[in-house]
Amino acid sequence: MRFYADLHIHSHFSRATSKNLDLEHLYLWAQYKGIHVVGTGDCVHPGWMKELEEKLEPAEEGFFKLKDKFAKSMDAQVPPACRANVRFVLTVEISNIYKRLDKVRKVHNLIWFPSFEAAKKVQDKLEAIGNIKSDGRPILGLDSRDLLEITVEANKDNIFVPAHIWTPWFSALGSMGGFDRMEDCFADLTCHVFAVETGLSSDPLMNWRLKQLDPFILVSNSDAHSPPKLGREANIFNTEFSYRGILNALKDPKDKGLVGTLEFFPEEGKYHYDGHRVCQTRLHPKETMAHKGLCPVCGKPVTVGVMARVEALADRPEGEKSPRWRPYTSLVPLPELIAEAKDVGPSSKQVQETLMNMLAKLGSEFHILMDAPVDTIKRSAGDIVAEGIARMRQGKVTIVAGYDGEFGTIKIFSDKERQRIDRQLALF
Amino acid sequence: MKKPQDLNDAQWQAVTHDGGHLLIVAGPGTGKTHTLTYRIARLTAHLADDQRVLAVTFTNKAADQMKERLEQKGLPTGKAGVDAGKFWAGTFHRFCAQLLRQQAQHTDLPDNFQIALPQQITALAKDIWPDKTMAQRQAALESISLIKSTRLALDPDADFRTYHRFLRGKGLIDFDDILREALILLENNGEAADATRRQYPFVCVDEYQDINIVQNALLKILSRDGVVLTAIGDPDQSIYGFRGSEVKLFHRFTDDFPGGTRLYLNENYRSAPNLLQASGQVIGQGGKQDNFQLVAQIHSEGRLVVHEAATDRSEAEYIAHEIEKMVGGLSLLSNFVRRHGHVPRTFGDMAVLYRLNAQKICLIQALEHLGIPYQASPTAGQAGQALRPGSGQADDAVLRAAEETLDYNVEKVSLLTLHAAKGLEFPVVFITGCEEHLLPLDIEGMTGDRQEERRLFYVGMTRAKEFLFLTRAERRQLFGKGMFNGPSPFLADIEEELKAYEAGRRKKVKPALAPDQQMKLF
Repeated sequence: MRFYADLHIHSHFSRATSKNLDLEHLYLWAQYKGIHVVGTGDCVHPGWMKELEEKLEPAEEGFFKLKDKFAKSMDAQVPPACRANVRFVLTVEISNIYKRLDKVRKVHNLIWFPSFEAAKKVQDKLEAIGNIKSDGRPILGLDSRDLLEITVEANKDNIFVPAHIWTPWFSALGSMGGFDRMEDCFADLTCHVFAVETGLSSDPLMNWRLKQLDPFILVSNSDAHSPPKLGREANIFNTEFSYRGILNALKDPKDKGLVGTLEFFPEEGKYHYDGHRVCQTRLHPKETMAHKGLCPVCGKPVTVGVMARVEALADRPEGEKSPRWRPYTSLVPLPELIAEAKDVGPSSKQVQETLMNMLAKLGSEFHILMDAPVDTIKRSAGDIVAEGIARMRQGKVTIVAGYDGEFGTIKIFSDKERQRIDRQLALF
Repeated sequence: MKKPQDLNDAQWQAVTHDGGHLLIVAGPGTGKTHTLTYRIARLTAHLADDQRVLAVTFTNKAADQMKERLEQKGLPTGKAGVDAGKFWAGTFHRFCAQLLRQQAQHTDLPDNFQIALPQQITALAKDIWPDKTMAQRQAALESISLIKSTRLALDPDADFRTYHRFLRGKGLIDFDDILREALILLENNGEAADATRRQYPFVCVDEYQDINIVQNALLKILSRDGVVLTAIGDPDQSIYGFRGSEVKLFHRFTDDFPGGTRLYLNENYRSAPNLLQASGQVIGQGGKQDNFQLVAQIHSEGRLVVHEAATDRSEAEYIAHEIEKMVGGLSLLSNFVRRHGHVPRTFGDMAVLYRLNAQKICLIQALEHLGIPYQASPTAGQAGQALRPGSGQADDAVLRAAEETLDYNVEKVSLLTLHAAKGLEFPVVFITGCEEHLLPLDIEGMTGDRQEERRLFYVGMTRAKEFLFLTRAERRQLFGKGMFNGPSPFLADIEEELKAYEAGRRKKVKPALAPDQQMKLF
C-alpha cells in the first residue's frame, strides 16, 4: 500500500510547542495534510506516555490508532474529502549534549519503536541516566554513540535516526556542534544507523554529494512544533502498512518500500545560507568566504549554514546520485502558497478560509499540492492560487534564503504579475 | 632512574625520598594524587613477593581511581603498569574490616558480625532508647560517635553502654567500631600486628589532614619496626573537625613518627592565577595552617563573578541560565555562543556547591525548569542487601553505600555539598549561598567552627579551574523559615579588583510592597 509518513514531531510536553499538540489534533491535522502515519514524538516523557497508553490502541503491527471515543470528538471537523485512517508510531527525539574529542557536541537523534514495551525499556534506561520529565525532548549528557547502544540493545527492531543532520547547532554533521564524519559521531556502532534525516534546510540533491552518506537512506520529516506544521516534509512508502514495512524499507538496502520523500525547498529552511540574524547579515557561502567567515557588521564568526557545510564536506559533483537515492518532490506548504498568491500574511483569516474551503472541496493538502488537476483547483480557489500551485509543481519559485535561524521567504509572483492575473480574473 | 617529564622537582623529591617517614604538604591542585601514585609505584619495586604497599585513601572512590592510575601503563616501574597484587588500596574502614574478618578468632566480636550503616543505626535508635525523643536519640548517637572518634580511652556512660549492648546483641558493629576493634586487635595481638607489618612494609595515607586520633593510633602501630609511612595532605583543607578529625595531628607528624621529614608541593596546576590569588586571600585572612604560598602554573586568566540575587529562587535561576550560556544554548531558541564569546562547555564541566543539602531544592527546581541534566549527591543507598551478610563482599558494599558518590559516565552538572566537593575539580564552579549564617554556618542548632568554615569555603574556591561564581541571596527559605542575610564575611576578604559583579536577568520588578507587608510573607 502507498502511504505518507511523518515520523518526527513533538507533543505539548516539549518546550516551545503549541498547547493543542495532542493526539486528537494530530489525528485531525494528519487528515488535513493527507498523512497516514504520524510519529507520536516525545514518547519517553512519562506524561505523554500516559496519554498515549490511555488514548491509543493497537492497529496494524507496530501501528496504533486513536480510540474511537477520542476520534469522534474530532470527526465533525474533518471534511469527507479528507477522511482517512490515521496511524501512530511511537517516536522520540533526544538532545545529546556531551564532549567528544575535546569539543562540545550537540546532536539530536530520533528513536522509533515497534511497541510500548520497547519504548518503555529505553525509557527506563534513560530515566536512570538523566531527567526525562522536564522536556518532551530530553536533554541528556550522553554520547550519541551510547544512546545508539542503549537503543539497539533494548530491541533489535528499534530504529535510530540522526535528526536533521545539517542543522548547525544541534546535529551529527552540523557546522557548530557536529562532526565531520558520521563514523566520528557513532564510532563502532555506525553500522546500526541505516537512515538519516535531511532536515528542512537540505534536500536529497545536496546529501547525495557526500559519499560517506551512501550507506544511509534519506528520510524527511516535519519536526513539527504545532499541528499545522505537520507534513512540511514527509516520506512516501509503498509497502506493507505496518512498522515492519517501514523498518524493512529503511534497513534492507534491497527493499524498495521507501519510494520517495516530500521536501521543503531547502532555501526556505532556517539555516540554508550563512550569517547573523541579530546583525541581519545574510550571506551566500561565497560572500562568507569573501568576508573570511566573519560577520561584516559585528566582526565575529558567522553561523555557517547548511549550504556551506555540505560544500565543505562534499566529495561528489553536483547532480550525481547516491546508490540508495530516491526521487523527491519539493513543496511549498499550502497556507504559505495561498498567502503568497493573495499577497497576505500566512496566518491571516483570508488564508484560513481559502485553505478550509479547498480542503472541503478538493481533499487533503498533499493531494492539492501534488495531484489535483489545476483546472479543478482553479474552480475552487481561483486563478492565482491555481497558478501558484502550477508554478510550484514546475519548481518556478524564487526564495530569499533562510539563515541563522531565520526562515527563508517564498516568492512566486511579482506584484505586476499579480495585477495581471487579477485583471484577467476580472474579465470573467 | 631519570626524573619523568610530568613531575616537577619537588614532586620528584617526594617520589624518590628514601629517608624514612615522609609528610608531603600539598596544596590544592599541586598534583597530590599524581605524586602519591608515582611514589607508590616506585615503592612496589622494593617489595618481596608476598608483600604489598598499603595505600589508604579517604573514600572508596579515591581508592578506585588510585588503583586505575597505578595499573595504567607508563609508570616508572615499567611499561606495563603496576601489578594489582603489589598494592592494596582502600579506606581505613575497609582495611580494618578486612583485618577483623581475617582475625575474627582473635577478637571479642560476634561471629559473622555485620557492619551497620549510619542510617540503619538511626532507625534502630528507637528500639535502643524507647523513652527518648527523636532529638535526644540523635544527640546521643552523635555524642557516642564523637567520643569514639576523638578519644582513645573510653569512659562509657549509661547511654553508651545501652547502645553498645544493643548492637552487639544484634551482631552489629558501627563504623567507629571497625577502627577501634582493629586497633584493639593490633594492640593486644602482637603476632597479628607483626604479620600485618611484614605484609605491608610501606604505608601511604592520603588526606592526612582529616584523620582522627584512632586512625593516628592505628598508623603508629602499623608504621613501627622499619615500616615506612608516607602521609600526604593539606592542613588548609581540613574540614572534618566536626566529626572528630584533628588537624593538630598533621602538625604533630614528626613527633608521632620519629625521623620523619616534611616536603612541600606548592606549584598549582589547576586554577587560573586570579582565582588562586582570590582563594589565597580568603585562606590568608586566618585559618591558614601552614606558612607557604601556592604558585600558579596556569597562566591564562580566569573569571571570578559575584552575583547578588534578591531571593534563593532567583539565585538558582541565575545559575541555571549561566549554565545554559556556558553550554552555548540548549535549543534552537537560545543561541548564546557568539555573544558569550567563549568555548562552550558541557554539563560535566560544571559544579554547583552549597553549604547545606537543604539549599539544593531551589537549585534542582531551576535546573529542571530548563531541562538541564544534573546529579545531586545522593543520600546513602542500601547496597549489599543481596550479598551474604557478614562476608567481606557485604562489608565492602556497606562501606561504599555510605559514601556520597556520583555517576560520571553521563555528563551532568554536579550538585554537591562543599564537603563532598573535596578532591574534585571543575572548569566552572558555582558556590551558592555566600551569605552570613551559611558561610560560616551559624544557624540555630548548627554552628560550625569559624576557622574550619573558612577552610571549607577555601576548599570550594580551589575546585575551580577557570570560572568561579560566588552567588548569594538576600532572602532565603531554609527549613521552612525565611531569613534575610547579608553577604558572607569571606567575600570581603577577596580584594575588589579580583571580583566582577554581575547582575542577573532582571525581570520587570513589581511595585515594591511596604516593608510591613514584606515581613508578613515570612
